[in-house]
Amino acid sequence: MSTSQLTPVPPHVPPHLVLDFDFFAVPPGLRDPFDKWQALVDTGAPPIFWSPRNGGHWTFLGYEAIREAYRNHESFSNRHQSIPKTEGWPVLQPNGVDPPEHSKFRNLLTPLFTPAAIASLQGEIRRRTRVLLDDFVADGHCDFVAQFSGKLPTGLFIHLMGMDEGRLGEFIALADFFMRVEDPAAKAQNAREIYGLLDEFFRAKTAHLGEDIASLLIRTRDTPGSGVSHEEVINCAFLLFVAGLDTVTSTMTCIWRYLATTTDARRQIAGCLSQPNELNRAIEELIRYYAVSSIYRRVTRDMTFKGVTLKQDEMVVLPDNLANRDPAVFDRPRDIDLRRKVNPHLTFGLGVHRCIGSHLAKLEISTALQEWLPRIPDFRLVEREPIKIFAGPVMGFRSLPLAWEVHAAKVLMRS
Amino acid sequence: MSAMKVVANLEICQGHARCAQICPELFTTDVEQGKVVLRQVQIPADLEEQARLAVANCPEGALRLARNSGSGS
Repeated sequence: MSTSQLTPVPPHVPPHLVLDFDFFAVPPGLRDPFDKWQALVDTGAPPIFWSPRNGGHWTFLGYEAIREAYRNHESFSNRHQSIPKTEGWPVLQPNGVDPPEHSKFRNLLTPLFTPAAIASLQGEIRRRTRVLLDDFVADGHCDFVAQFSGKLPTGLFIHLMGMDEGRLGEFIALADFFMRVEDPAAKAQNAREIYGLLDEFFRAKTAHLGEDIASLLIRTRDTPGSGVSHEEVINCAFLLFVAGLDTVTSTMTCIWRYLATTTDARRQIAGCLSQPNELNRAIEELIRYYAVSSIYRRVTRDMTFKGVTLKQDEMVVLPDNLANRDPAVFDRPRDIDLRRKVNPHLTFGLGVHRCIGSHLAKLEISTALQEWLPRIPDFRLVEREPIKIFAGPVMGFRSLPLAWEVHAAKVLMRS
Repeated sequence: MSAMKVVANLEICQGHARCAQICPELFTTDVEQGKVVLRQVQIPADLEEQARLAVANCPEGALRLARNSGSGS
């Protein structure tokens, strides 16, 4: 089902490092998006290989190479990285720039996403989780993506930005489209609509400042000498919108799919919901295993990296999931061990661009488990037809039909 | 006290806070930058195992254990 064109292999790439691998393609019959990556390892792909698809790019397969690329932003830049290369794509703040420019927005946002700051959102996350659950627990079934994992992160974005709750439906529709659309023209149009909405929001918000991220960005923009433009503010908001959205949605969907098919894991997690140490360990393991993101970097200079010649401006894909399943680092990497002790996974990246939302993402997952499992302790996957899978920078399932016995579920649970 | 102390490299720390999660007795994070703060440098004997796990789980490699040098701190 490869749809992208083959581009000529550059002369410095030796033939034994070339592999026809389409990063975005979903091979027919694929039932789990991670299998596509695992198949690369199982069939002996070179640990650093060149694919002539999607404009041509490198892929690093092992933990050490991916770790080094993350940590060396001087050689592996975040600026102008996209696969295939796209002209005119906005520079997202602060993810799309490197130090020292990076620190302008990063330093602004960091205090809002520290563990201490995120802990204060617990009540809000719990409230939103309960509202979502109330809507479908009594039905005995739901589509987990459409009714839960796709909605929770979008609701939190609205909350964090200090947006009118009335716009939630609008944003959910845009986010839903953002995650499902494949056609590049439609995707670009969708991005323009999100930009338009954010632009309008920021203009209106300027007159009604509060204690939220949008207000902080506006105050900074309007501080003389800050060097922050309206456009950069919108690029930052767009990043927060897209970065915390399909990543969290997809990760939660993978986790709930696993739980739906693994009774022992449901019991084990249900048994430790109020024990932070054990619950955190289980969540770290689930996000190690289900690392849905593959990250892009751009090579900044000609160099030899682990014996391979890389040229300036070549693109690299770093599949977090393969770093996290590298047997050189993880004991029995293909087993989910909810009590795994040594787990230095790369799910949130490393170095200066480490995912700023990691603590928020984990709190969303832990709160969702704490609210879901007491009310719906047992649930199963409804296998009507093969679930549609998507691949690329974020991979996952387009839907997840779940069902449960209503008499066993706590339809009303109010503390 | 165990014979070990913990050393943090704040240049490398990026605020994953895995250490604070695993061993809150020894590690926390600062409010502004979210980077590691050592509650105490010396590791009590009963926390040595947890301290080792915190070090092993730091994906940045920002923590290490070191043997106390002779006379103590």
